[in-house]
Amino acid sequence: MVRGSRVVEIISKTLSEMLVCPLSEQPLRVCEKSNSLISHAIGVSFPIVDGIPCLVPRDGEIVETDSDRTAADAKTDHKTAQE
Amino acid sequence: MTSLLQFSFSPVAGHPRRRRQQQRIVASADRQALFSRIAPVYDNLNDVLSLGQHRIWKRMAVDWSGAKEGSNVLDLCCGSGDLAFLLSPKVGVDGQVTGLDFSREQLVVASSRQKMQSKACYRNLKWVEGDALDLPFSDCYFDAITMGYGLRNVIDKYKALKEVYRVLKPGSKASILDFNKSTDELRTSIQGWMIDNIVVPVAAGYGLAEEYRYLKSSIQEFLTGEELEHLALKAGFSSAKHFEVGGGLMGNLVATR
Repeated sequence: MVRGSRVVEIISKTLSEMLVCPLSEQPLRVCEKSNSLISHAIGVSFPIVDGIPCLVPRDGEIVETDSDRTAADAKTDHKTAQE
Repeated sequence: MTSLLQFSFSPVAGHPRRRRQQQRIVASADRQALFSRIAPVYDNLNDVLSLGQHRIWKRMAVDWSGAKEGSNVLDLCCGSGDLAFLLSPKVGVDGQVTGLDFSREQLVVASSRQKMQSKACYRNLKWVEGDALDLPFSDCYFDAITMGYGLRNVIDKYKALKEVYRVLKPGSKASILDFNKSTDELRTSIQGWMIDNIVVPVAAGYGLAEEYRYLKSSIQEFLTGEELEHLALKAGFSSAKHFEVGGGLMGNLVATR
């Protein structure tokens, strides 16, 4: 992880540490790649827009699980190999 | 043109409880859209309509919250941030102010106002888009909570008060300012007359007559001071007192966890 990442700087470490998932009340993880806050407890990500975390429950999106990503990656790799 | 204020209760099949949940979602979305539409002129209209008095009521609300230097405070339904900006110098550089609102447009205004401030203490302000009925904070987190002209607009006031209670530290206070739903007929008539003959025509000048007509029905649907006190006690607060301010036009509920 790059120190002082843009996402963490934008929303501040303080804010990222104080927020919890509005649905499960469990801690959130900052995801730099998707610029979002991930609730692993329920598998939902919440976007950060212009430095403001969007934690209205209906803003949440279901995240892919690791197994889903692996299957998708495998499919993409296979298709690329065929081309 | 369909008014934003007509909460479109489209028929929803299924269990009555699910239908009610669907209707609540639609109503909440309507109100969110309303506040997003008025965001650009919200501050200006507050000044014009209250002749600047809203600033005094908001200072009183902040005083009642018990926020002090070093406090970690929440301004719920913060809108463009009036209460948050009063809390910021009060809690100082060692304190923290979080402003939460469900309208992105209002938060953008709040964030822009923050960028125009040069004092170091205003760096203690953070903005979060969130739902007052599902707060993204842990239990017993805040030293004080303020809510200005927000409780009347949430679709489930009891749930909102339970959430305020949940995230407050034991012994801390919530200070909730809003219009007063008076039990006095004369005062209610005067309030209604002022909305019909002053507020709505002035808002019409900004193209927002329909949005401000919503004010009258929202006050009618709101709770009296006594009812708010009872609801706060039901939500778990150890004490709750409602103070009338602004000649009885406004009221401030102070609830202690």
